[in-house]
Amino acid sequence: CGGRGDGFRESGALDTLTPEQIYIQGESLLESGREDDAAFHFTEIERLYPYSEWAKRGLIMAAFAFHRDGAYEDARASAQRYLDFYPAEEDAAYAQYLLALSYYDQIDDVGRDQGLTFQALQALRTVIEVYPDSPYAADAMAKFDLAFDHLASKEMEIGRFYIAGGHYTAAVNRFRTVVEDYQTTRHTPEALYRLVEAYVALGLNAEAQTAGAILGTNFPTTSWYRDAYVLLTGRGLRPDVVGESWLTAIYRQVIRGEWI
Amino acid sequence: QNFSFDSVRVEGNQRIETATILAQAGISQGETLTAGQLNDAAQAIRGTGLFETVDVVPDGGTLVIRVQEWPTVNRINFEGNARLSDEELAPLVGSVERRVFSPVQAEQDTAAIVQAYAASGRINAVVVPAIIRRDDNRVDLVFQVNEGGVTEVERISFVGNRGFSDRRLRNVLETRQAGLLRQVIGSDTFVAERINFDRQLLTDFYRSRGYADFTVNDVGVNLTRERDAYLITFDVQEGQRFDFGTVTVTSAIPEVDVSAFRAAVRVRPGQVYSPLAVDNDIARIETLALRQGINFLLVEPRITRDERGLALNVEYALVPGDRIFVERIDIEGNATTLDRVIRAQFRTVEGDPFNPREIRESAERIRALGYFADAEVEAREGSSPDQVIVDVNVEEQPTGSLSFGVNYSSDNGPALVASFSEANFLGRGQSLEFELSTGSDNRVLTFDFTEPRFLGRDLEAGIELSFRQTDNASALYDTDAFRVSPSLGFPISERGRLNVFYAGEYTDITDVAGSDTPADQSDDASPIIEAEAAQGGLWTNSVGFSYSIDTRRSNLDSPTNFLLRAGQEYGFGDRSFIRSTALASAETRVMGEDVTLRATLEGGFLNYLDGNSRVTDRFFLGSRVIRGFERGGIGPRDIETDDALGGNTYAVARLEAEFPIFLPEEYGISGGAFVDYGSVWDVGVEQTDRVRYDDFTPRAVAGVSVFWDTPLGPLRFNFTRPLLSEEFDRPQNFDVTVSTQF
Amino acid sequence: CSPQFRNHGYVPPESAVSALTYGVDTRETVSATLGRPTTTGLLGDSTFYYVQSRFRTVAYQAPEEIERQVLAVSFAPNGTLGNIERFDLADGRVVQLSGRTTAEIFADRTFINQLLGNVGRFDAGNLLGDDE
Repeated sequence: CGGRGDGFRESGALDTLTPEQIYIQGESLLESGREDDAAFHFTEIERLYPYSEWAKRGLIMAAFAFHRDGAYEDARASAQRYLDFYPAEEDAAYAQYLLALSYYDQIDDVGRDQGLTFQALQALRTVIEVYPDSPYAADAMAKFDLAFDHLASKEMEIGRFYIAGGHYTAAVNRFRTVVEDYQTTRHTPEALYRLVEAYVALGLNAEAQTAGAILGTNFPTTSWYRDAYVLLTGRGLRPDVVGESWLTAIYRQVIRGEWI
Repeated sequence: QNFSFDSVRVEGNQRIETATILAQAGISQGETLTAGQLNDAAQAIRGTGLFETVDVVPDGGTLVIRVQEWPTVNRINFEGNARLSDEELAPLVGSVERRVFSPVQAEQDTAAIVQAYAASGRINAVVVPAIIRRDDNRVDLVFQVNEGGVTEVERISFVGNRGFSDRRLRNVLETRQAGLLRQVIGSDTFVAERINFDRQLLTDFYRSRGYADFTVNDVGVNLTRERDAYLITFDVQEGQRFDFGTVTVTSAIPEVDVSAFRAAVRVRPGQVYSPLAVDNDIARIETLALRQGINFLLVEPRITRDERGLALNVEYALVPGDRIFVERIDIEGNATTLDRVIRAQFRTVEGDPFNPREIRESAERIRALGYFADAEVEAREGSSPDQVIVDVNVEEQPTGSLSFGVNYSSDNGPALVASFSEANFLGRGQSLEFELSTGSDNRVLTFDFTEPRFLGRDLEAGIELSFRQTDNASALYDTDAFRVSPSLGFPISERGRLNVFYAGEYTDITDVAGSDTPADQSDDASPIIEAEAAQGGLWTNSVGFSYSIDTRRSNLDSPTNFLLRAGQEYGFGDRSFIRSTALASAETRVMGEDVTLRATLEGGFLNYLDGNSRVTDRFFLGSRVIRGFERGGIGPRDIETDDALGGNTYAVARLEAEFPIFLPEEYGISGGAFVDYGSVWDVGVEQTDRVRYDDFTPRAVAGVSVFWDTPLGPLRFNFTRPLLSEEFDRPQNFDVTVSTQF
Repeated sequence: CSPQFRNHGYVPPESAVSALTYGVDTRETVSATLGRPTTTGLLGDSTFYYVQSRFRTVAYQAPEEIERQVLAVSFAPNGTLGNIERFDLADGRVVQLSGRTTAEIFADRTFINQLLGNVGRFDAGNLLGDDE
């Protein structure tokens, strides 16, 4: 399907060029959007001229090109090699940041395995702790909070699974994990509200009052507190509950996959 | 003594940055250092494994760190390897291109390659790592391999076996004697680990046939003089054969009624002793306890020996186990399937008492979903000794298939196919199938969707939409059939499941041959069909149910299982009918669970209350119901035009046996034999003189089949010979289908 | 059609509960004799709750909780056994769960990507066109 002019991939094609020429070729390919070819160039510099200053710069550029191309494993490998050999270089912060991004950009929907979220959190924490004054620390902190919040929503998802099935104690234990270990995330008010729901269903009104009180003092303006107040005092039906016809329930659960 | 330096100089480093070396050495300008600290610095640099030599030498006011770097690896390749390809060897090698060359790593790689060859039976293989110097302190690493010949097992013999013959025992082992196909079969190559596995196979074989004291004393392995083959001798000591003595069930748990558990035990006194039978009983007791909701029950089999009577008395003691709870269920590896779809397979909820039997059953249910190549469920200790975390680790496999192309089916001829099917749509466990097929004599458009947990319950909701246009090869008319059918399916007992459905169907019979040339009668279709076609397109509405009992659902893995399926469909409106179908099938595994015997009885009865059945409604028996004939190859036929008219009633009995043929399992080929007997009859018209075989005329067919487990799925090749058939039948002696369970 | 029953949770038998003595037993000894509580109170682990429920599922209906025992073991400030209360299903209230959920940051990968990302299964069924 047409030559993309990647004659350079045959072995030895680039041997005659100087490292700087290969680097410049790589950069121009990067500008023209051919990230995987650019990455190939950058890694070739390191193989052909492992001692040059260009090899070092080529390595970090390779990590960047792979990452932009979505080849996350290769991006990670290049970034890691850069960190092994040039820990003291000022680009090391960027390498660590790229490493973190390679996990972060693969974080998947809450219904799926969150292994990558954990790895993203660890890599982001390294960026924040080891390179606090690098230009990437601030963004790493922001992304850390988002990934941390995502872990909380995984706990919430499982908690809602159990409360929807009527397994109130299992749900309580999951929502308590959110309240205790993830209180800085946006899910805490909903977790407290779900605790009120579960305790009321179990008939443990004292615990329900406690959960409602914590929700009231910390998140008084949220709609979750308004709903909890109604549940605890039993006055006034909530508008959105009454209107739910069984047809919309089927549409939401079967077609859209929201099943609570 | 102490040193203090105002400057540090690094010499000899070509590739590694000076700053990197300093960072690793941990020395900064102007620091006062003892001799010990200097040594530590040198040690730290050596620790990186990047340098051949490291010297730390104080030179007046400056500290000189003199290093000599290892070369970096430029290329790695293999020479002389034929049996194992480069791709197979590459993962074994630890050295990496563009990384530092380390002789220690190269030695390890060589050992790994030699080990790989030994595992594939080539114990004489020799591997040498060669270094080719390149400029700029780079090297090429080449593994030169000399594979040497294969050493096969020439003969396997046994000493001390009185109960079973050498030939019988040889079949038990995994290692095979080199026979005619020695070049092709792998399992006749001598591999040390396999011998240990064989010892275990022999022990299990004897132990499960009553020889409780059986042991393998020794396995003699000696090499023929030419060093190209092995002679293996198993020296066994059988000991006495024991039967079961008394079998009792006792309980130390107050609220347990022992009589129910005694009934669950299958082992009878006098039966040949086998640890397998004891394990099965324990499984049955644990499952019963699970069904009765008794928590923390532990079954301890206490076996007492009666030497004189050669009997082993078994006492199943029910003792209270310690109270362990499930702290959390963690699900990992699900890249596509949603967490809730897997979690819904668990009957244990977080916080419940931990019941290993229940966890094992849940693992079975997860595997039965069919979305995973592998699903491991393990319990590990939680945050305290009386808590357990259940780890579910799944490995996804593709569950969607998208295909364009041509497929050939033995009944309908070639068909162009565009189909998309996904068993796990968006990871929600929903199944979606869409197929468009434009064959030469039939055009099919089908759409199927099923939600297994409708409204979050164990309630399967499905919708099926199909449009089939056939230009029937064995008759001279076309049929159009459109059907839409929503259905609901739910369990109504431990093993029973009910499926209810509505169906709206439009059928039409068009351009009947000969209707346009009334004068010329020669190529006309049957007048019966012409009469039916005259009624034009007809809508029928119907509701129906299908009830099925399947003993495998309560998964007590007993070798004998049966399935009963019965259903009725009630048509109402201008054509009201009752269509009843039933199937009863029993299957059992005998002779050490190698041979499967299956008997199936299947029948259908179509009864029209008003209006009468048409060729699109009546039963035509395909090769899935009775083998040995084309579709519509038997049953009522028009006397003159020989068109197959189908029948309102059919009944077929099938007796089958499946057994291994003694090819090695690696081929996945097994054999089978079957006999089918039955027929389809009664067109439901008055002028029966125009119809041949309108009443019950039995057909019988015998045949053999070959099963082949291909990566595409299990194929079944049937070779049949009619025993009892009629003159105008259309036999079909060869047929290939996807072999499915009943 | 026969309904199917399932049990969840654990409440210790009466014999174990009567062995406790007020004012003497502490959280450790209660946990040893009765077993680990199903869940504990919200503020610190003040009260121990043992919950056991029995669900019945009939045909197509959702599983329904038909029986629930709740044992609440609360402790005095000095950490000794304060009070033992029992609740059952009647004390609970049927709660209509809110359908609203906190928005999720990393939403599903694109629909098409999921649809085609999982294609790869090829089975003999396609090749042979299963005839009915």
